[in-house]
Amino acid sequence: MAKPGPQPETPAPAGSRISRRLLLGTGWGGFLLSIVGPALANVRFLFPNVVYEGPSLFRVGRPEEYPAGSVTFLEDQRFFILHEPEGFRALSAICTHLRCTTGPFVPSGGQWKETHSRCPCHGSVFAKDGRVLQGPAPRPLDFYWVSLAPDGRLLVDTAASVAKGDVFKV
Amino acid sequence: MADERDTGTLAARIMGTRVWRSVFRHDYPEADLDRMSTMVTNFFLHLMPAKVHPNSLRLAYTWALGMVALFLTVILFVTGFLLMFFYIPSTDWAYHNMKDLQFVVSFGPLLRNMHRWAAHGMVALVFLHMCRVFYTGSYRTPREFNWVLGVLLWVVTLFLSFTGYLLPWDQLAFWAITVGTSIASYPPWIGETIRVLLLGGGTVGQGALLRFYVLHVAVLPAILGLLVAIHFWRIRKDGGLSRPAGAPGPAAAGPGAFAPGPLKTYALMEVVRGTSPMVGAQAPEEEVPSWPHLLFRLVVLFQGVLVVTMLLGVFFDAPLEELANPVHPPNPAKAPWYFLGLQELVSYSALVGGVVVPGLLILGLMSIPYVDRESDGEGVWFTAPRGKKVALWSFVGTAPFTGLLIFLNARLGLRRFVPEPPQLLADLLNPATLLLVAIAVASLLVGRRTGSRRMAAIALFSCFLSAYILLMVIGTFFRGPNWDWIWPWAAGGRQG
Repeated sequence: MAKPGPQPETPAPAGSRISRRLLLGTGWGGFLLSIVGPALANVRFLFPNVVYEGPSLFRVGRPEEYPAGSVTFLEDQRFFILHEPEGFRALSAICTHLRCTTGPFVPSGGQWKETHSRCPCHGSVFAKDGRVLQGPAPRPLDFYWVSLAPDGRLLVDTAASVAKGDVFKV
Repeated sequence: MADERDTGTLAARIMGTRVWRSVFRHDYPEADLDRMSTMVTNFFLHLMPAKVHPNSLRLAYTWALGMVALFLTVILFVTGFLLMFFYIPSTDWAYHNMKDLQFVVSFGPLLRNMHRWAAHGMVALVFLHMCRVFYTGSYRTPREFNWVLGVLLWVVTLFLSFTGYLLPWDQLAFWAITVGTSIASYPPWIGETIRVLLLGGGTVGQGALLRFYVLHVAVLPAILGLLVAIHFWRIRKDGGLSRPAGAPGPAAAGPGAFAPGPLKTYALMEVVRGTSPMVGAQAPEEEVPSWPHLLFRLVVLFQGVLVVTMLLGVFFDAPLEELANPVHPPNPAKAPWYFLGLQELVSYSALVGGVVVPGLLILGLMSIPYVDRESDGEGVWFTAPRGKKVALWSFVGTAPFTGLLIFLNARLGLRRFVPEPPQLLADLLNPATLLLVAIAVASLLVGRRTGSRRMAAIALFSCFLSAYILLMVIGTFFRGPNWDWIWPWAAGGRQG
């Protein structure tokens, strides 16, 4: 029986045989590849190609249902419809901090000099134009793309954010 | 007893059969030698050493915290397996399964309550065990890596409790998944990918519930089991539990104590390299047999843990909030108590409080034994009287400082001066970051003043401990609707 421990390496005759190091390196390298390859496939497997989530397009009623100057909280869809002098806007009610639903807009009062909405989870406060007035929210609330469906109802796409200044005129 | 067996009773005959001998390879464990042979040959008992040093058995040294955590794990596995028979991880079913467990399943409330209280106990006990190991300096060579495994076990415990309270699919569950996976999306570059991976999609729904269920009942318990096995195996390989030096306590004088004698002999010594058998550290021989000294204590301890868990389960019901409502978070939406310090930190900055501080905390904890390479005072609480002082002042001093930071943030927050600060500035100038920097500086100063890395480590650990406990208390009692500051004793201020 061979003794344990490193064996003295017999030098291979030049050019005639591959070295022990190359052989073992190739063997172990191949072994590792055979593990890593399937492992990468497993990781990719975990990312779904099809999801069964709700649509991002919402029909939210006719423009005349929203009086001029009104802020309407559509709770189920988690956004506000703002009817401003310039036109219609859809303001997201999903807090940019950690995605809780912010509260309804309440008039100025106390510490707040303008109409504001408060997030119940970590205390972020937002203005009607989405600005962060206080709290940990890292950016303003999103505005969504607004349009008119062929049947005359307003259409909001929550998958498409638009710039703060964009309005939809009816 | 021995007489009975010799006279050929039924028991003796059974124990003499080939079948019996094939299962149990030791004699009836009534004398020390047979008991030790039992400890070595029995699969469950072989986790323990055949002999143990009395100083490791001192209650006031270990407080048995690690063992209590293990026993809670056992209770959690048993109750968890049973609960699985009445639970379907579907958004349509999960909440109603909880109601079934509460009202129609025999012993359903008891099992669910026990599972919950054991889980809360485990979060507390694993952490307290870590505090014990830290303050007694038990992470010293050769136990460095076992400390690292212990930190990982703590993290796995927290993930297990997090994935566990998501399963009832009540309001707490839904908004915890929403917030938790959103925190996971904050690390730059890979954050959004992690979120999709956790949720199995873009929104919190069926995919997320199923993933967290699989994590909770299969992936994480498997990781926990593996880590616990290695953790225990290494205790043995690293020379048993750490222990204070000095004369052994009264247990050593009891029956079965070994008189100082020749060194132990070990098989395989020829081929084992390195320091793993650790024989040198154990002279002179003062050990006592684990059976009965260790085993008896563990049996009593398990009884105690089981009784306390059952009593908690009988008298205190695990709460269940309303059915998950994807539109409305509760106000305030509070995490369980052990995450409320984290929630308070996240309420300053999600990136700093939710990613940077926890990440640095875990890395910092793991690196402690590699930074503090001193060797004195192992097995002694706080290492030296000086260490006790450092720990006390760090603990006491951090509280007013943390309170001051939170007060200043509330009164003179960054937005008073810069209404729309760049995010980098907001991440740098908030109580979470400032606290982190202050604690690091305090620890460095202590290290400089005392010339001891162990003292610096004690300061660092104690400051974090104090700050986190304070933040937890604030999150629990001083935060009301919209995460506003409230005084818990003010009328109507207390939130459920």
